[in-house]
Amino acid sequence: MRENATKKEFLVPSDLSEVQRASAKVLSFLEPLDLSEAFSFDIRLCLEEALINAIKYGNNFQRNLEVRLVVEYDNRKVQIMVEDKGSGFNPKELKDCTHQENLLRNRGRGVYLIHQLMDKVEYNEKGNRLFMIKSLEKRGVKG
Amino acid sequence: MEVKSLQQDGVMIFQVHGEINISTSPDLKKAFEKQATRKIVVDLERVSYIDSSGLATLVEMLKKTKSQGGALGLAGMTDKVKSLFEITKLDKLFFISQNQQEAVTKIK
Repeated sequence: MRENATKKEFLVPSDLSEVQRASAKVLSFLEPLDLSEAFSFDIRLCLEEALINAIKYGNNFQRNLEVRLVVEYDNRKVQIMVEDKGSGFNPKELKDCTHQENLLRNRGRGVYLIHQLMDKVEYNEKGNRLFMIKSLEKRGVKG
Repeated sequence: MEVKSLQQDGVMIFQVHGEINISTSPDLKKAFEKQATRKIVVDLERVSYIDSSGLATLVEMLKKTKSQGGALGLAGMTDKVKSLFEITKLDKLFFISQNQQEAVTKIK
């Protein structure tokens, strides 16, 4: 990120009813970017999928454990970090949800969507911190 | 999210309005479980947002319908919602139609 990046941290209780509220706050923080509907859709979807996984599998629905979100943007990209307090997750263990034999299984589709809709996705070594970047180079504008 | 149910030509139509997300997808599942028709169309024309739990709910509805010898079609998706079906290859599983009437004609 460049020096003129704008950054904000959000702490989200591990309760699924908090997911939409958190994504609305993040999208409101990103409003100065004047993102198109399609771009906002992608960012919201990836953020919510990551949050749901952090609440469910990372923090095991323990409401007192917070998911930490750090959202940062400049005029080139939006970067989102989602961190839970779990023991970590190995994305390589997920089967490809688009393979014919896995299509009906409903497992790993959220992570798959994140990888498809974001431009860069990384995990820390422990696997409890997800970094995702959406490039704004090809962003649509409103209207 | 609101789900309106209606019958046409022996087909049960669910018209969904709003978002199918982690909070609302159980309501769609409940509406589906209340009925016994084996021919189903889910009209998504007024669905502005769907997440992986919404996609999973539709897959579960499809599995159950097929296991009972029925058929389930989807209709009227916006480009953005349709793109998620294409990315996840779920477009291969469902009958997908441009609009509700076309879906009813295919399914009945």
